[in-house]
Amino acid sequence: MKAARLLRWYPRAWRERYGEELLALIQDTLDEGRPTWRLRLGVVRGGLRERVHQAVRAGTAAAKRTSTGLLITVVAAMILGSLPWDLKASLPPARAWQKTAAFDALVGAFAVTGVVVLASGLVAAPAFIAFLREGGWQQIRRRVAWAAGATVAAGGGLAGLFLAERSMSSAQVNHSWAYGIGVVATTAALVVASGLWASAVTATAKHLKLATRARAAQPLLAAVTLTAAQVILPANLILLAAAQSSLPWLVVGVTNLALVGFVTPRFVGRAVRQSRRLRVASGKMTVNRSPQRTHGRHRA
Amino acid sequence: MAPSGLRRVNDPPLLILVSLADGPKHGHALAKDIEDFAGVRLGPGALYGAITRLVERGLIEPLGGDDRRRPYQITPPGSAALAGALADMRRITRAGVSRLGLDPA
Repeated sequence: MKAARLLRWYPRAWRERYGEELLALIQDTLDEGRPTWRLRLGVVRGGLRERVHQAVRAGTAAAKRTSTGLLITVVAAMILGSLPWDLKASLPPARAWQKTAAFDALVGAFAVTGVVVLASGLVAAPAFIAFLREGGWQQIRRRVAWAAGATVAAGGGLAGLFLAERSMSSAQVNHSWAYGIGVVATTAALVVASGLWASAVTATAKHLKLATRARAAQPLLAAVTLTAAQVILPANLILLAAAQSSLPWLVVGVTNLALVGFVTPRFVGRAVRQSRRLRVASGKMTVNRSPQRTHGRHRA
Repeated sequence: MAPSGLRRVNDPPLLILVSLADGPKHGHALAKDIEDFAGVRLGPGALYGAITRLVERGLIEPLGGDDRRRPYQITPPGSAALAGALADMRRITRAGVSRLGLDPA
């Protein structure tokens, strides 16, 4: 029996963590002369159970991550969409300050996201280079190839849309089914490419041997990125409200902004605690001394 | 279900915690020990499924050393969870023994 083949029943992440250990145990068990069919069945069942477990866990995590703001947006849009038209007709005029503030917030959020992503990359760069030098490319090659392929497809779609827009009038663009399908397909390709890159980066990160300070910095960087990303949706909505003089969109945007204001301190607080725990666990900082030191520095 | 995930006496996570209570062991040593003290034969799939859950819950942790035969040890939360589960079992056992009129010795 080829024991390594049985491992295919397990998810890849599980195999990378426990695969070698399970193979050793299978070998030890076989050496005792145990019947292989029973062992094989048990391993297959374990692999399937692990896949179900991971799928359920990923689904739960995704559900938790789903932005509450997005949910509120959808619900609020549905409620506001069902309002009588005469109420919508009595909308206030667009305000320049609202547009400017929303645009500035949007640009700021994108800039912060870009800077933090760059900073995260720089922090992890030494560990990534060491990983590649140790032959890590083989472990991430397939994921990166898929992500690159999806990116090329999305890039091709964007180029096609750009060329189509240049060769058609606005009216033609608005009435073209082919253009509409192109927009949907390109958006889908962009979403898939983003997901695949995220998957490749996550898989790579699991292999990186990050320095303690880098590990402790990651939760903080992630919290800042998440906050910036959460600002993008309400800023977009407020911008849309200003552009269209739309009260419903303004209400939805402000509601989301208030939600971000409520949720963000929790995210940041959790990240700070997580970062502190990582440093404490590595012995770089002691629990008792650190608050006093920090306090003292701020006072000084 | 208890927060520790321990449900019944032949539950693989419970058996693993009992086995690790007297020191770290790798997969094969765990399977042998469990078979010896509980008469339960855990296959590699069931054993590593339980190990995975226990590591996720922080009740056991891997030790360094040989990657292929990595030993695991019980953590303080694992010891507490095991003590709690055993106390529950002892209480139930006492009640059952008393109601059946059996000699506890």
